Amino acid sequence: MTATLAASLPDAVDGRSTFVALAARELRRFVVNPVLLFAVVMSLWTASSDQAEVVLNFAVSPYPAIFLGGFGMMATYWLTRSMRNSEPVVGVTPISEPVRTAALCVVAIVPLLCGCVCLIMSLHFYPIGSPVYGDFSEPTQVAILVGQMVIPTLGGPLLGVALGRWVGFPGAAVVLFLLIFGWVNLATWPSLTRPDSAPAAALRLFSPFAYWSFAKNRVDLMTWRGSPWFFLGWQLALCAIAVLVALLRGADGPVRPRIGRALWVALLVAGILFVLANAIGVTHTVGA
Amino acid sequence: MTASISSSISLRGVGRAFGATKALADIDLDLEPGVIGLLGPNGAGKTTLLRLLATALQPSQGEVRVLGRDLDVPAERTEIRRRLGYLPQEVGFPRGFTAFGFVDYIALLKEWAEPASRHAEVRRVLDQVGLSDLTTKRIRSMSGGQRRRVALAQALLGSPPVLILDEPTTGVDPEQRVTLRTVLAEIARTSIVVLSTHQTEDVAALCERVVVLDRGRIRYDGPVTELVDRAAGRVWLADAPDPAATVSWRTGTGRYRNVAAQARNGVEHVEPSLEDAYLLLRGDLPDSRPAAGAAT
Repeated sequence: MTATLAASLPDAVDGRSTFVALAARELRRFVVNPVLLFAVVMSLWTASSDQAEVVLNFAVSPYPAIFLGGFGMMATYWLTRSMRNSEPVVGVTPISEPVRTAALCVVAIVPLLCGCVCLIMSLHFYPIGSPVYGDFSEPTQVAILVGQMVIPTLGGPLLGVALGRWVGFPGAAVVLFLLIFGWVNLATWPSLTRPDSAPAAALRLFSPFAYWSFAKNRVDLMTWRGSPWFFLGWQLALCAIAVLVALLRGADGPVRPRIGRALWVALLVAGILFVLANAIGVTHTVGA
Repeated sequence: MTASISSSISLRGVGRAFGATKALADIDLDLEPGVIGLLGPNGAGKTTLLRLLATALQPSQGEVRVLGRDLDVPAERTEIRRRLGYLPQEVGFPRGFTAFGFVDYIALLKEWAEPASRHAEVRRVLDQVGLSDLTTKRIRSMSGGQRRRVALAQALLGSPPVLILDEPTTGVDPEQRVTLRTVLAEIARTSIVVLSTHQTEDVAALCERVVVLDRGRIRYDGPVTELVDRAAGRVWLADAPDPAATVSWRTGTGRYRNVAAQARNGVEHVEPSLEDAYLLLRGDLPDSRPAAGAAT
């Protein structure tokens, strides 16, 4: 142990470079998370085979949403909570909690990129225009694919950060994953039995993930009502809400009301997009 | 970073309540560069006071200014944090971090964005606390004393103008404590070091000034030597506990050390220590008088 001293506070504070360095550090911690690694391996593995049964039933593979979205949510939740015990030290540093939260949100880019890779691999087996996508136009098929295979891989991890900031229960991410998984399946059921029902469609779309078609006996394809484009907007609005809710934790001074206002706007936009997703697009069930 | 406009900490009429419990009441303090010891029994409000100074808590009443900046104003609070090193009473460490990794992470949060200078600073503070050989060791596999030194290392980052240390020597071996005193004494030439501890010998060895807290109020604030002088002529050795003593305890030689509120004649007086003076001060309190013969 030596007693050498050098008065050496950092010379100049550059918020952007500090944020970039912090985000890079969180990224490095995130990519070695075993849960994320498992999710990435499983997603790529499922995307590397044609997954015929699942795809023929629902037109699009739900596995990227399950693994990269769901397990990605658990990984970001644990990443967010990992510094909780060190909060007495971390909480009195000049980097505020919202900035630290924003750096954590950046890590969602990893599962998002993996989701994009899964989409590209999936298109290898089922290109746009394939019969499995039913009667939707080709641009709408793109919206469905992005909404089912890419956006959940962004939203899940962002939700994990928000959950980690606000909920102390260690198993919260697992519970939420099971709740969302259960809800998506439960909310899809009325559309299977009452495909023309508007309430059934609303129930199905009131979710961060929704199916748009189903093939009975893998032959009789039915496509469900609603607008995949506006649903995509609704999903992105949910992502924004997750980020803003996460950022709200620990925000003080003038930042807090700004985040609060942005949150209200995001909620309003999400509401409008949800209504439009139900009201516009295919208004009746198409059977093939 | 702007230059500091003051090198002191001032508290005026500061109080802090947790529900119906008043942890601190009417605290007035001015702290200048040097080592200031904070003594007091458990529950006296020491940790609450340190958390206030470390910006981890807001006062319920009164004003706290650190280096001329107001704790209540968020932007000024950030400025304070840029000049602050804080060692809390308990620090939890994230799973999988090495000593270097943890201190490096905290350095990043203290705005050391440039990797080369940050790594050099992290190595410097780990060297200061005697962990230069254990930088790659996972914290979870370290001993309690080593973990404490990792926590201390992060507080020393940047040799901050304000250093708040809550029981820094807990679990640290005697040799390291002595070296740590040297490090803190060096820092205190230009910085305000506030040190809360139950180790009176640390305060006696390191501090010019001591603040004694009891039940959220300042019981004594002044030079260590003055507090010790108060006990002159009131500490003596005897073969048995003296009924007149406020506190008596058996020493290693088998004789009893007696400390009394009133000076005694015709006994074998010994040089009082800070511990004697502290016990005497505590013994003055109407309902905190320890039982005679109790090992305090």
